[in-house]
Amino acid sequence: MLQAVEVLIDGLVVGAIYALIATGFTLVYRVAGVLNLSQGAFVVIGALVFYSLERDASLPVPVALAGAVAVAGVAGALAAVLVLRRGLRRLSLAGLLILTVGLLTALEGITLLVWGSQPYAVPPFTGGGTLAIGEVRVPTQAAWVAVATVAVVAGLWLVLARTTFGKALRACGENPVAASLMGIDVGWMTVVAFTGAAMIGALGGAVVGPLTSLEFDTGRFFTNAGFIAVALGGMGSFLGALTGGLSLGVVEQLASGYISSLFSPTIVFVLLLVGLLFRPNGLLGGRARRVDVPETYQRAIPVIRFRGRRGIAIVAVLVLLVAVAPLLLDGTGLVAAFVIAGVYAIAVLGLDVLMGYAGQVSLGHAAFMAVGGYTTGLLVTRNGVPPIVAVLAGLALTLVVALVVSLVTERLRGLYLALATLAVGLLVDSLLVGAPEVTGGPSGLTGIPAFSIGSFAVTGDVANYYLVWGVAGLVAVALANLARSEFGRALQAIRADQTAARALGIPVARYKRSALLLSAACASLAGSLFAFDFRYLAPELVSTPRSLEMVTMLVLGGQGTLVGPVLGATALTLLPAVVQPLATYKTLFEGVLLIAVLLYVPDGLAGAVSWITRRGGSR
Amino acid sequence: MSAALEAVGITKSFGGIRAVSDVTLAVEEGSITAIIGPNGAGKTTLFNVLTSLYRPEAGEAKLFGARVDGLDQSRIAELGLIRTFQTARVFPGMTVLENALVGAHRRLRASLVQQLIRAPRVARTERALVDEALALLDVFGLRARADEPATDLSVGSQKLLELVRALVAHPRVLLLDEPAAGLNDAETEELAASLLAIRDAGITLVVVEHNMSLVMGIADRIAVLDLGAVLAEGVPSAVRADPRVIAAYLGEARS
Repeated sequence: MLQAVEVLIDGLVVGAIYALIATGFTLVYRVAGVLNLSQGAFVVIGALVFYSLERDASLPVPVALAGAVAVAGVAGALAAVLVLRRGLRRLSLAGLLILTVGLLTALEGITLLVWGSQPYAVPPFTGGGTLAIGEVRVPTQAAWVAVATVAVVAGLWLVLARTTFGKALRACGENPVAASLMGIDVGWMTVVAFTGAAMIGALGGAVVGPLTSLEFDTGRFFTNAGFIAVALGGMGSFLGALTGGLSLGVVEQLASGYISSLFSPTIVFVLLLVGLLFRPNGLLGGRARRVDVPETYQRAIPVIRFRGRRGIAIVAVLVLLVAVAPLLLDGTGLVAAFVIAGVYAIAVLGLDVLMGYAGQVSLGHAAFMAVGGYTTGLLVTRNGVPPIVAVLAGLALTLVVALVVSLVTERLRGLYLALATLAVGLLVDSLLVGAPEVTGGPSGLTGIPAFSIGSFAVTGDVANYYLVWGVAGLVAVALANLARSEFGRALQAIRADQTAARALGIPVARYKRSALLLSAACASLAGSLFAFDFRYLAPELVSTPRSLEMVTMLVLGGQGTLVGPVLGATALTLLPAVVQPLATYKTLFEGVLLIAVLLYVPDGLAGAVSWITRRGGSR
Repeated sequence: MSAALEAVGITKSFGGIRAVSDVTLAVEEGSITAIIGPNGAGKTTLFNVLTSLYRPEAGEAKLFGARVDGLDQSRIAELGLIRTFQTARVFPGMTVLENALVGAHRRLRASLVQQLIRAPRVARTERALVDEALALLDVFGLRARADEPATDLSVGSQKLLELVRALVAHPRVLLLDEPAAGLNDAETEELAASLLAIRDAGITLVVVEHNMSLVMGIADRIAVLDLGAVLAEGVPSAVRADPRVIAAYLGEARS
């Protein structure tokens, strides 16, 4: 009984932090209409700045705390002014979401540069002692968590409900056009909200730091927890954020305490899925999102088509380059890098069907690679299943996972697919690391044989190169066939205008589901090829950072072109291999690249190719 | 007479305001029926209820005698009831030709695998479809711009493209919401001829339109909506002479 009370209190403490993050989420969502995935990064920044000021600069706790919140506030304000405001003027809802993915990655990159990749133990505010309430003992830091949460929630409520300024903030969320007609500077309010959310996140990070272990990339877990809290409680509702955060914390701690800490994320995820099935708007019911941010694209979507003689010429050049590359690169060690590029190209081709054509976002595509790759690898090494059969089995399991995700999210409006896939990705990450007896844990699954059919085995970089790029070619041709048939047109119609698509007889949910299954299948195939190429598979090859990297590849290459994925995957894989400094600053580089391409080169590399060849005069 | 499309006692309100109130209307197969009325009379709302964009509080919608209210929007289109929108909704990110081809959705049956490998049957069907779509674009003067982004077209041309897209669907009943908006007088005359030709091809047409000369020129029957209710219904000459219609349009004559 005593243990139950302690677990419950632990849950409330963790839940309070989730509630804080969810509150920041809600603030930005209500004012700017954006799901801000970078929220978690500010939590980590807050905790680490606090650590540095308190430990390295030996400042008193209140000063260090104020400093951490101020630094996060400045970072948030800069991000809002330089990135978010520009994005709000030119991107769709899906584009904005990816923009915040870019922010998350860039902030993680900066954190990595400043603090390195080691875990930090942030000092508690008032010593490491425990507080005794009756027979129950809780860390004193827990009291500070409670104080911070109550202070933030009460403060926010006072500002939003009781001040003119708060009314203006809320007006931006209700109807930004009307708000701007009333003389409210909506762009400025967006900056205020984003900065406020960053400061709330930083405060949360500093108070929770002592109770957990933090690294540069812990932010995405906070983002994920914050999102799950928001989805559970009700999107856009502050009370929902509080309720969702606290219930999430309690459930998580109960699951860890009484079942297994390994399966705690799984249990939470299942809870979220079930919750969304029965209460799609959350426990307390959600609020409408900001009205001027379109759910589907209504802005000009670039029309890039590689068809006719020009298309044939470009494809011929690409095929030729791919075919002779190993001969030219023999001995440089770059062939291996090209094999990896080919594997990612296959997965990103699939992602293009989902994102570029159907306009749906997946932030967990590496998880589908993991399911395919690990299933294949395990069947081949443990059960001696022939490679082809193992690949098909991996494919089948991936499709089941994708189907579950799709069935839950397809009825929900907005970007639930993006967030559900992110949650799946983080879930798969934790299972891969947490179940070493099955997956080999952090060091990976070793001893996978080469790909073989009968007695013919594919060994060596060059052979693998042709295998991978041969598959990539087949996938590209098949998807191009699809793109210029009824299926491809239906997906593009759905991306552009779901109502008009339905009015022509297109069953939107079914097509979204097919697009997700198809793209998951491509990822699964890529994962299996990874396993055979490396002869082993480790979590970091197919974890969430890779998912975000693939989104960057696609945006960089150019969405909705099928040429873009090949260009983007190759460029992003090879750049760090060729330009050494880019490898050191890889995370930061990828984040900044994603932001810059989204804002300034929306057509990506494929758009550039199209522009150059058009100027060449051959249409 | 056999009715292609029927509204039976349809009522739809928005927050206490009855946009459509107990509307009963039958559209004869193979005819052009025009729905006219002042702004806010409930014409577009009626369209939206008939195509399941809105769910009515009361009443039924029937397509060739079978109830369709409450069905999924896409299911209604599959059954042959195709509509256009008051403000043209072409698909951005697609060319003019691709937009037109989306219309063919309800006619196509190829499986995903057949499309992936581009089976000969798919290739054949696609070629025939492209020819058909290009021929239709030609009729509406859009063929030369087939490969341009659809959003580059003028508002009037986008409305025509939307009409082409609907025709590519081979509809049984076609609902057009202000097809002449954005067109000049000469283009409107051409549109009138096209609409008559569409009717003669056996497609039942229901047209919401403000352009009275267009309506009077092509409609077989006219229904007048006012404040959400049917004010008058009949052949054009009878509707034109109806004092209630004149009052609704020109204001009450005070004696």
